[in-house]
Amino acid sequence: MKNFEYFEPTTLAEASRLFAQEHAQLLAGGTDLVIGMKAYTETPQSVISLQQIPDLDGITTDTDNGITIGAMTKVREVELSEDVQEHHTALAEGASEIGSIQIRNLATIGGNIAHASPAADTVAGLLVADAQVSIASAEGERTVPINELFTGPGQTVLKSGEIITQFHLPSPASGSHYIKHKIREVMDLAFIGVASAVNLQNGVIKDARIGLAAVAPTPIRATEAENLLKGKIPTPELLQQAGEAAAAAASPISDLRCSAEHRKEMVDVLTRRTLRYALDRATR
Amino acid sequence: MSEYSVVGQKLPRVDAVEKVTGAAQYGADVHPAGMLYGKIVRSKHAHANILSVDTSEAEKLPGVRAIITQDDVPSGRRVFATDKVLYLGEPLAAVAATDPDIAEEAAELIKIEYEVLPVVQDVIESIKPSAPRLHGDATKDGPNRRNISSKIKELSNSEADDNSNEIRKLEAELEKYADEVYYNISAESHTEAGDVKKGFAESDVVVEDTYFIPRVHQTYMEPHVSVASADSSGKITVWASTQGPFAIRSGIAGTLGIPLTQINVIGTTMGGGFGGRFGVIITHVPAVLLSQKSGRPVRVQMTREEEFLDGRPAPGCVIKLKTGATKDGHILARQALAFWDSGSVSGASIGSTIRVRGVYKIPNIKVDAYGVHTNKSGTAAYRAPGAPQAIFAGESQLDDIAEQIGMDPVKFRLMNMREEGDAVPAGGSEPKVGYKETLEAVADAAGWWDREADDNQGWGVAVGDWTNGCGPGGVYVSVHEDGSARIFHGSMDITGTDTAITQIIAEILTIPYENVTIRRGDTDSAPYSTGSGGSVVTFTMGNTAKLAAEDARRRILELASERLNTNEDNLELRDGAVHVITADPPKSISLGELAAFSLSTTGGPIVGKGSFARQPSTPALAAQIAKVEVDPDTGRTRVLKLVASQDVGFAINPMAVEGQIEGGTVQGYAWAMMEEMQYGENGNINPGFVDYRVPTSADLPTVQSVIVEVPAPNGPYGAKGVGEPPITPTLATMANAVNDAIGVRITELPIKPEKVVEALKNNGHEA
Repeated sequence: MKNFEYFEPTTLAEASRLFAQEHAQLLAGGTDLVIGMKAYTETPQSVISLQQIPDLDGITTDTDNGITIGAMTKVREVELSEDVQEHHTALAEGASEIGSIQIRNLATIGGNIAHASPAADTVAGLLVADAQVSIASAEGERTVPINELFTGPGQTVLKSGEIITQFHLPSPASGSHYIKHKIREVMDLAFIGVASAVNLQNGVIKDARIGLAAVAPTPIRATEAENLLKGKIPTPELLQQAGEAAAAAASPISDLRCSAEHRKEMVDVLTRRTLRYALDRATR
Repeated sequence: MSEYSVVGQKLPRVDAVEKVTGAAQYGADVHPAGMLYGKIVRSKHAHANILSVDTSEAEKLPGVRAIITQDDVPSGRRVFATDKVLYLGEPLAAVAATDPDIAEEAAELIKIEYEVLPVVQDVIESIKPSAPRLHGDATKDGPNRRNISSKIKELSNSEADDNSNEIRKLEAELEKYADEVYYNISAESHTEAGDVKKGFAESDVVVEDTYFIPRVHQTYMEPHVSVASADSSGKITVWASTQGPFAIRSGIAGTLGIPLTQINVIGTTMGGGFGGRFGVIITHVPAVLLSQKSGRPVRVQMTREEEFLDGRPAPGCVIKLKTGATKDGHILARQALAFWDSGSVSGASIGSTIRVRGVYKIPNIKVDAYGVHTNKSGTAAYRAPGAPQAIFAGESQLDDIAEQIGMDPVKFRLMNMREEGDAVPAGGSEPKVGYKETLEAVADAAGWWDREADDNQGWGVAVGDWTNGCGPGGVYVSVHEDGSARIFHGSMDITGTDTAITQIIAEILTIPYENVTIRRGDTDSAPYSTGSGGSVVTFTMGNTAKLAAEDARRRILELASERLNTNEDNLELRDGAVHVITADPPKSISLGELAAFSLSTTGGPIVGKGSFARQPSTPALAAQIAKVEVDPDTGRTRVLKLVASQDVGFAINPMAVEGQIEGGTVQGYAWAMMEEMQYGENGNINPGFVDYRVPTSADLPTVQSVIVEVPAPNGPYGAKGVGEPPITPTLATMANAVNDAIGVRITELPIKPEKVVEALKNNGHEA
């Protein structure tokens, strides 16, 4: 790898100032950055580790089962958290799909999101959890809803020096589920990812959220499909319509992994399937 | 009970401890004092004229000690491209520097001016007369090269409604160029026996299809690496990760015009080979040239990306195949036309197309095969070169015939298999081989005869044949004063061959396995040995080891006769001692005592020598059965059961043999389901393990191995080569299982979810 300067700041303000300089990169778990540096596709002049800054990791649950996850929390911890598994199943399932256990023990949820890959495995779960992203810089703090964070592949609304500090997941849906379409059972990247979350009240869908990964330049919510479901009693026909609406919301590309057409078809299939699982969980 | 005490036993490998403790020396562990780091400068285009190569900026970079181009190759043999590059990643120059990052930076500083040319990556596109000509007009005029369009026509005149649109389109296209010369043909091979026209005419059922098999990489764990050191006298030492040190020695000598014995090749522990580790110019020659120029040892080590760009993978191919059979199940005729993707150079196992014949009595057969140039790296051997591709076509089509005539696929195969004494189309007669035994064994072990399948589940069967190679080798064995024995030889251990050799020597000398050790020499010290590929080692070196041990036994008995004052006829070697058969009370002398005694005799120490070159080999069969479940909505396939049997002749170490069967089967599964080198407008687009998928242990269940032993007359203890056969049937096994599960015949590998969904949609399935 190319030579670089390495910093280990102990405060967010210091980290933000360093990160605001040109050709600076943040180091969280390093599972994307270090590989890129070794391959010379990432050639930062300075690398700023977030590891010595206190209070950036950990999962806390509040009284109405809202959950806060620090940005430096290891993906493996998200995957194994009983509270996340119970209240935000789709997110725990997404976390369990990243790389290998060794990688998940290094990778952080903040890194997975800040890298802004449209195919990130935790993003669909965060979308259907309606996560609020806390962002800090030397100038202060702000909060952005997860569905407004991304602007393109590898691109976010984060400004110079801004660092993601935590994700707040408000009160949970009663059932959610994530499916990753892939070839290899483990250690594969998502051809597409779909998460669905539902709230049921007396057999009627009160609320539905559908998150789609790797089917558009950014991760997206399938809002038309969600609106179709709201206030309805779930039936196979209704799920069929939701699947088709979700597929219509997708604008995928064809690449070496598969064609755009296949991605669209799988959005349809997996939206229905994740909704079925989510509804099943909601009625349990 | 076995009549043997050491061979036939599941004994731990001789190299187990050094491997698990990390003590084994791989190429990357070699670090002579003052070593420099080499880096190869590669083409950034898949097809381009080279206008200029400017090394001046790179030369100024501190730490750079040598830069070489084709101008530095005194023999003029092509090591680096000069006027034209033919594939992405083709070497243009190389640098050596004091640090790998400096070498990397220097490589980037070498300025190359390209004139980009049109690229052709597909064999079907490449054979059209309008395709870009890779080697200009310099095509050799083969006897049949003007007749490609008629060959295609010959095979396309049936009414069958199949999915061979590519071939049909090509036929229409080539019609226009019937008398043209086809420029990108690198080689051809034609075989004919009987009369296929007559055979098809007499058939009740004729099936034809076109099969597309992708180029795949051997994906050995250790990328190519070599360390070269040229000393002031001109003597060259090369530490090479290779399957064949002696072939590397002669390869370097020939390429650079250096006397053979001025080169010493030290084979380092091999991190997998699979046939892909015989290349001379990939890293070895550049390392030697850089060392000669810099006067320092130089290591050239490929990255995984370089492996995909400039390794020598297995060729992909397109096979048009047609088979005719009677309605009671007799195969009457088979005809194939194959286009093998040989990349920028010739040589793509096109002769293996004849393996569409399989182990069946097919009276009429015709095969026409062509090697076709494309803008890709050249190809090399990969575990039974060419066989998995041809057998995929042949065994897929057999199932379609069985289905059409309503016969069980196993019974259909059993009925058509050749038997001992049957005429072999290429000449001679069939030896005793366990074809039927092996297929029956896998069917019984898998529960084929009372198989059950839920919705979207299916069973597939296929068989593949392969015959091990043979080659020269030499072995010495010495017996020491403590009664132990030491083997010395020059062959690279490949998946346990040193262990097999050790077992054979221990068996003959009647001493415990633990008391025999084995050491590999370099090309300066060891007797010549053939390369460790083509499943040759256990056959060749096993026979050689036997001869060496028998030679040592002769000397042992001679010494015992002298020491015990009795005729050799009265002596017997057993349990590590020579016993006088008729003595009462018993009388014996241990090997250790004899070894000590030998030192003061006229005849001298106990040294057995074995030297061997060749004996006819016997074919081996691998038969496999898979049970799969396909998700018809997502197209994903899960393997529920995978059973593999193999006629190994005799398993010298059954544990190692099972490992080979499992490994080959998994590689075949991977080729069927996920592996594929993909090419875009400018060459390979998946040069890494993110998008070139090899399976993990989570992808398939434990392979159940079934060993069948029908001895090979010339194999040591009846052993056959076991490494290659198990990969040969798996591609078709998987496709046949998927077909049985969901009723769609996938003819284009790998069987990716998208293709399954597409095929089901064409069949009317709605997700």
